[in-house]
Amino acid sequence: MTHQPAAGSPDDPPHGATAARVAPPLSLLLAVAGFVAVLATWLAGGGGFDVAWAPSLDLRLNFELDGIGALYALLATGIGAVVFAYSWPYLPLHLSHQGRHRAESARFYALLALFMLSMVGLATAQDLIVLFVFWDLTAISSYFLIGYDRHEAESRWAALMALLVTAVSAVLLLIGALILHGEYGTFQLGELVARAEPGTPLTVAGVLIALAGLAKSAQVPFHFWLPRAMTAPTPVSAYLHSAAMVAAGVLLIGRAYPLLEQSRLVLDLLLAVGGASILVGGLLALTRDDLKRILACSTFSQYGYVVAMYGLGGPIGASAAAFYVVSHAIAKSALFLTAGAVTEATGGRTLLSQVGGLGRSLPLLAGASAVAVATVVALPLTVGFFADELFFKAAIERGTGYALAATAAAGLTFSYLARFWLGAFGGGPRGNPHPVPLPMVGAIATLAAVAVVGGIVSGPISSLAGDAGAASVGGPAPVSVAYHLDLRSENLMALGGWGLGLLALASLSLTDRALRGFARLGEAIGPDRLYSVALNALNRASDAVHDLEVRDLRTRVAAVLLPAGLLVVLGVIATPTEGAYVVGRVDTGELGLVLALALAAVAALGATVPRHHLTLALTLATVGFALAAVYAFFGAPDVALVAILVETTLALLFVGVFGMLPTRVLKREAELPTKPNRRWRDPLVGLVSGGVAFVVAWGTLSRPAAGGSVAREQVRLTSDAHAKDVVTAILADFRALDTLGEITVVAIAFAGVATLLRRGRLW
Amino acid sequence: MSTGLTKLTARLLLAPILVIAVAVLVKGYESVGDGFSAGVIAALGLLLQYLALGREATERALPIRLVPAMAFVGLLGALVVAAIPLLRGDPLLTHVPAPGADVTTLGTLELVTAVAFDAAIFLLVLGAAVGVIHTIAEAADEEGS
Repeated sequence: MTHQPAAGSPDDPPHGATAARVAPPLSLLLAVAGFVAVLATWLAGGGGFDVAWAPSLDLRLNFELDGIGALYALLATGIGAVVFAYSWPYLPLHLSHQGRHRAESARFYALLALFMLSMVGLATAQDLIVLFVFWDLTAISSYFLIGYDRHEAESRWAALMALLVTAVSAVLLLIGALILHGEYGTFQLGELVARAEPGTPLTVAGVLIALAGLAKSAQVPFHFWLPRAMTAPTPVSAYLHSAAMVAAGVLLIGRAYPLLEQSRLVLDLLLAVGGASILVGGLLALTRDDLKRILACSTFSQYGYVVAMYGLGGPIGASAAAFYVVSHAIAKSALFLTAGAVTEATGGRTLLSQVGGLGRSLPLLAGASAVAVATVVALPLTVGFFADELFFKAAIERGTGYALAATAAAGLTFSYLARFWLGAFGGGPRGNPHPVPLPMVGAIATLAAVAVVGGIVSGPISSLAGDAGAASVGGPAPVSVAYHLDLRSENLMALGGWGLGLLALASLSLTDRALRGFARLGEAIGPDRLYSVALNALNRASDAVHDLEVRDLRTRVAAVLLPAGLLVVLGVIATPTEGAYVVGRVDTGELGLVLALALAAVAALGATVPRHHLTLALTLATVGFALAAVYAFFGAPDVALVAILVETTLALLFVGVFGMLPTRVLKREAELPTKPNRRWRDPLVGLVSGGVAFVVAWGTLSRPAAGGSVAREQVRLTSDAHAKDVVTAILADFRALDTLGEITVVAIAFAGVATLLRRGRLW
Repeated sequence: MSTGLTKLTARLLLAPILVIAVAVLVKGYESVGDGFSAGVIAALGLLLQYLALGREATERALPIRLVPAMAFVGLLGALVVAAIPLLRGDPLLTHVPAPGADVTTLGTLELVTAVAFDAAIFLLVLGAAVGVIHTIAEAADEEGS
């Protein structure tokens, strides 16, 4: 057997080198074109299309570029363009650090482009099922992107965790959609909003949808997957944290907001979870040393703001949340790209305690990232100031207590981001940093410039957020932000936040011990730990069942037949037996049927006798062919044809497999005595399952009329479908969608078999 | 492992089996059988060659390498037939001609889009089955050598 190097090792032939060359410009072009197209459509007043692709199931390809759609689609394509531009120089460096071939980058761009397109689809989808599909597409593409460094166990673990947390919670979204459909008879969000009335079904569906959104946005207690996901390459983290994946969660909450806001319970849930996430994220960010991990904790803390604003409710809350998402996306993507650039400049260092003093040697990077930090901590002249102004306004509207909490939250954010920036860029120079490629710094500077422009000319983002808020609350939600040089509450709260932040920063040496204790407590009994324990326990249970099942072939067959037989026996006992078991008459015309049945019975009995493998296989084939004859006599020629084909295939495969095995092995196996415990078990299992099958077949054949209406209808429709063969008409016309699904499975199974046997290559 | 007689029988059977497969496909809408059965019949004919002649002789004599690609051609074809009605605003998989409309026939073959869908199934089943047979035979050969 020849040994092939594992796919993806550096000595692979440069398979896909051309693709790797054209992928960066192509994907950048795609993102820019998408951004321009979305912007133009939005400026022209929106647009969309609606195709009923399966009207009988109320499934429509319903897309509309409303305020929310425009906001998130612009983020996905705009930040996407910056991330693609940054990846162009970054990815070859990243791959060469790990000794991987640069041809592998084509996969990266393809996945990132898929991620971007699924975000755009998610942002514009108005049909809950289509929305669910795009929701899962984002989970799948992020799975491959987080696990892009697939040779590292930590990456694979993080990717699986992100997939499990977000895809399992996605099922809640599906259940919520089905509850809504059951109650109001539609999957279309617009119609749902018009028909929905407050009540238990709406609350239950609302809680389920909100939970799916919270898990995706990494809110407490689902926050643990996000800091792990920073094992992804830096551009992926930047994208995932700002414009995709995590943003998808609040996108869903904003999209379903008209349904969610009808229940006080859901709004309170959002407020509580958002508040807890702000706190936990902020406190954890103060204790972390890894650059990207600090930012990851910051991300779910910041999305906590957004979730809390939706929880505060009302038009102000909804549009403030939308505004905050934009401001955060710009700043957070810039900060993640900064972390990547700092690591690059220091030759691969990732910890805050190892870097420092980069401010003098890399002034442009330091300045751009300072603007990004200023945006998140809401200093004036950045778009972040307006974001916090709206946040404070929404909190004041709700009450003084909420206003105080909001001020404290702003202080917490200030302290950990100041720690981050001062740690990386402040202090005296240490060593000689490597140069950072200009496009990488340029990408960060572009984002910083956008943040500053947004802080001076607030109009475009305000109207975008206003439109998004209006789509959420189904009415006008205008956003008016401006600088006011007076002592209004919002300004006082901002000042208070900065003051608290400075205070917290100064007293960090005092609180450090307590904060670390909190972080350790979370590691010991927190959800991350719970996840690992549960996953490992599940794995062990599955292994145990598997070991039991595959011990040998007969145990395996018995493990299926015996429980199934017993269950059916229970069903038979529970069913009334009157008229269920009829003994009919046999006509002379049915002689063929009787003979075929007799042959099948004799062959089945005969199958218990032979000891040689080939004889046994051929006897079993005889049973099958006899049964095919039974079908033919019984008036089911199509079934008979398929049965013959299956039996022929099996017989040929047995002959082929026995031909591959050495004769002496077959002989030795055939002469082994039956194990004592088998002597009783195997006949017993055979009798139980055979007896049950007999009873069920008898009962079914005694009442052939039951449930025949669908079949009659299909027979009637066959001539309408221009067919004479009912079975073919069912497969190719009446139930063609099922067939399409089935043949897709066949193709996937084939691709799987081929890829496994060819060690990772399809052809 | 096979005798000359087995080999001869296998060779002689191939052409009739393929003809039967095509006949079952073409008459699918008219009589017993459909694209699936036709695909399996054709694949069985090729499986017989593999078993009787061995992998190398079979693949020397017949253009087997092209067959697995048919699986994806078939899937693509089925998707195209399924999706075209969407462009006209009809639901997925709406077949033409509509019920009651006239159908052009070529012998017993009716020119209905459902038959095109059935033909796509035939290609997919044949391609996937032969692809699996080919890859397994190849892996078995490698293991044996």
